[in-house]
Amino acid sequence: MTEPITETSPRLMARMAGGWWLLYVSLAGLADFARRGLIVSGEAAATATNILAHEPLFRLGFAADILAIACYVVMTALFYDLFKPVNRTVSLLAALFSLVGCTIQGFACLFQLAPLVVLGGTQHASVFPAEQLQALAYLFLKLYSQAYSIALVFFALFSLLIGYLIFKSTFLPRILGVLMAVAGMAWLTFLVPSFGAKYLHPYLLIAGSGEGLLILWLLVMGVNAERWKEQASAARDWRS
Amino acid sequence: MSTAAMTQQIAAASPRLKARIAGVFYLLTILTRMFVEIFVRNRLVVPDDAAATATNILVHEPLWRWGFAADIIAFASYIALTALLYELFKPVNWSLSLVAAFISLVACVVQAMSSLFHLAPLVLLRGAPYLSVFTVEQLQALALVFLRLRATAYHNIGLVFFGLYLLLAGILILRSTFLPRILGVLMVLAGLSYVLFLSPPLARSLQPYILVFPGVGQISLTLWLLVMGVHVQRWKEQASAAISESQRTIRG
Repeated sequence: MTEPITETSPRLMARMAGGWWLLYVSLAGLADFARRGLIVSGEAAATATNILAHEPLFRLGFAADILAIACYVVMTALFYDLFKPVNRTVSLLAALFSLVGCTIQGFACLFQLAPLVVLGGTQHASVFPAEQLQALAYLFLKLYSQAYSIALVFFALFSLLIGYLIFKSTFLPRILGVLMAVAGMAWLTFLVPSFGAKYLHPYLLIAGSGEGLLILWLLVMGVNAERWKEQASAARDWRS
Repeated sequence: MSTAAMTQQIAAASPRLKARIAGVFYLLTILTRMFVEIFVRNRLVVPDDAAATATNILVHEPLWRWGFAADIIAFASYIALTALLYELFKPVNWSLSLVAAFISLVACVVQAMSSLFHLAPLVLLRGAPYLSVFTVEQLQALALVFLRLRATAYHNIGLVFFGLYLLLAGILILRSTFLPRILGVLMVLAGLSYVLFLSPPLARSLQPYILVFPGVGQISLTLWLLVMGVHVQRWKEQASAAISESQRTIRG
């Protein structure tokens, strides 16, 4: 069977994509909030104490991150569906970049739990001095940030391509495509992690508002159903 | 698309063969995973004894390396299974089938990466000159930490994504006409069990019952796919229904 076009209506698909994306943002935000409260920048000992004292909260942050990634995977599949009529290859490429990003981020979450492994064992407590274990735990958290930066680069490529697809589509306003591309550029600065992190906050605002607008549009307006169907059948006719 | 072309495409599919091959890959995954867990890790890793574990691993290094190879074969096999199940479930709900395949891919790659920490102890314990700054006990303790990290990545990340995959597969089976509904129910329960690993304390307290549904569900599905395949006539019916439905979506 050649790849069928989805049976779901395009407007519903768009709304679902927006919904799952919103869920991702909420869960990721929750996870980040839990982490920020506990991690003391530059202070391994204080961080270790915090983590051990509030272990359930810390674990909750981890769980939220994992579920967030799952939501992003669902959103990716829906986006692939949604933008296939525009350009099937680019849509596939975008989805693959996103999947790679999600996988990297998924594995990176291991480094969130690593401090608990390092600080929780009784055997290594006797073999390493406490400060070294605390430093090791903090090192793992740093590694998490680094791994997350790698994932961000792939998500940046995903955003850039989605921006292009939106721009070339007939069923979404082009300004949203431009905003997504800008967001992608912002995330790309994480190719040089220190550069990205230093200028993080303004970029977060730019990228965030671009993506936020898209989420809102998808949820409220969906897509222009007739134009989507036109583009879909045109793509199909061109191929056959 | 003309009716003739449509029929021809469906006829070329051969879902029963795909189902049987999927069963073979699933069986391969299960067998290799059982090998690694029972004959390699269970035998050689002593949970709270870094020294004993280190000695075991070094003495049985070939077996340990075979364990790594078996793990990789398991995950590669699961990717093949994912591709075949994606094909089989496309007629049920193409979007859902795609989401499931994506989730499974993420799971497989995370699991494969966690195998890195299976090999890490060998690097630590081989006694390279640059490691001489650490005492032997420190290196052994680190090796055990890496093994715990492997277990953490495998259980608390990989199994969660696998759980979501099994859950979606179960839903797809329930909505299909060509596989028995009981399998769908078992897979949904299996998936939910694995997702519980999001909370390690919860998972630990539910051992070993938490593994009952995953075990029963996956083995049942594997055996069914191998022996019965899928109900070919019903698969083809659902496939052609899906095609006409999607054409309706486009024509509006």
